[in-house]
Amino acid sequence: MSDGDKNPASTPTPLADVQGDGRWLALHHRFIADSKDKEPEVVFIGDALVQLLQQFEIWRELFSPLHALNFGLGGDGTQHVLWRLQQGEMQHIRPKIVVVWVGTNNHGHTAEQVAGGIEAIVRLLQEQQPQARVVVLGLLPRGQGPNPLRERNRRVNELLEARLPRLPNACFLDADPGFVHSDGAISHHDMYDYLHLSRHGYARLCPRLHALLLRLLGEGQGAGP
Amino acid sequence: MSQGDSNPAAVPHAAEDIQGDDRWMSQHNRFVLDCKDKEPDVLFVGDSMVQLLQQYEIWRELFSPLHALNFGIGGDTTAHVLWRLKNGELENIKPKVIVVWVGTNNHENTAEEVAGGIEAIVRLINTQQPQAKVIVLSLLPRGEKPNPLRQKNAKVNQLLKASLPKLASVQLLDVSGGFVHSDGAISCHDMFDFLHLTGGGYAKICKPLHELIMQLLEETPEEKQAALA
Repeated sequence: MSDGDKNPASTPTPLADVQGDGRWLALHHRFIADSKDKEPEVVFIGDALVQLLQQFEIWRELFSPLHALNFGLGGDGTQHVLWRLQQGEMQHIRPKIVVVWVGTNNHGHTAEQVAGGIEAIVRLLQEQQPQARVVVLGLLPRGQGPNPLRERNRRVNELLEARLPRLPNACFLDADPGFVHSDGAISHHDMYDYLHLSRHGYARLCPRLHALLLRLLGEGQGAGP
Repeated sequence: MSQGDSNPAAVPHAAEDIQGDDRWMSQHNRFVLDCKDKEPDVLFVGDSMVQLLQQYEIWRELFSPLHALNFGIGGDTTAHVLWRLKNGELENIKPKVIVVWVGTNNHENTAEEVAGGIEAIVRLINTQQPQAKVIVLSLLPRGEKPNPLRQKNAKVNQLLKASLPKLASVQLLDVSGGFVHSDGAISCHDMFDFLHLTGGGYAKICKPLHELIMQLLEETPEEKQAALA
């Protein structure tokens, strides 16, 4: 049981403006303002893996046609996404699906804490967006060679895969197409800095997510009003 | 006069692996290997502004044909770039043009120190790659609205405008105009997070950059012509 006080990953926390140009808060407010006159069917929320997706052509090919909005913020951990949601980032919209992809930046947190943070996001979304299906994407492996963060991310996915089916309207998708080669290496053709996906990496990963979204949208009526 | 010792931005410094997956060193090692395998005519080195450029179509359109290599690493400061250049990223290659774009991440340093760090990079390149013409790109404004970092970056550019002409084979290309609107705001259409450029944002700066690189490449004696004879 993750008590908000005890798990830093599930304690809503704004990102401190250490650099001095207020960009994080500016983007949070922009997401709210820009969504006022929109009616998205799908909303993506998470970290840079979400944010950067919108910079590639594949966003326009696969996700714009689904009327998708992108609330990704580079560097975010689960606690930052929780804060944004709590502060009403999705207050103007009622999408059919929310895609959650966050957790790889939760440095210093254990796999259990990170999983707890993601579950807290799912539960908050169920409160705020009862009509929405929540799709949680698994954390990807990272680093050029084997390292502790791969193990932690793998463990987070294991925990989520076991626990999410118990939450109504939530599902887990491991969209990793096999980024780790047989020699344990990740290629810079897939992740240019062994963390962030290149166009090629997104092209390998997105089709499965897209197919799931189409299926869920086709199933249509979930817990409607 | 800022000597390396008294200016931390001009002291080579490897990034520590705080996160635990050693990605900075992995990228550096890959670049050193690239130097052994490849023969770039143009080298780009710097932070994420350089690194992300390679992720957009414009890199393939404008710079791949020039046999360009991209040694950008997100988050890098002048001290990080200095360390990388001193530790193998300038070895075994002989580019005709080197593009340097770094400084916006130097949060611990003053504008004077940042300019000093960039000058140290240029001087290092002059020593190890005397044949290369260096283009230093100006720092861009950042943040949605006016803020201290915009002033700091502008001050760095101002200092470089004065100091770079005194160094050999280098020029400052100021691409910072056209991002701040009359109301002081920067648009998400140019910088998706008010720091990193979108494809449209890159198109604005790559046009003058590409033109300058082409100009400098044409000025360079064609050793290849002699080899073809």
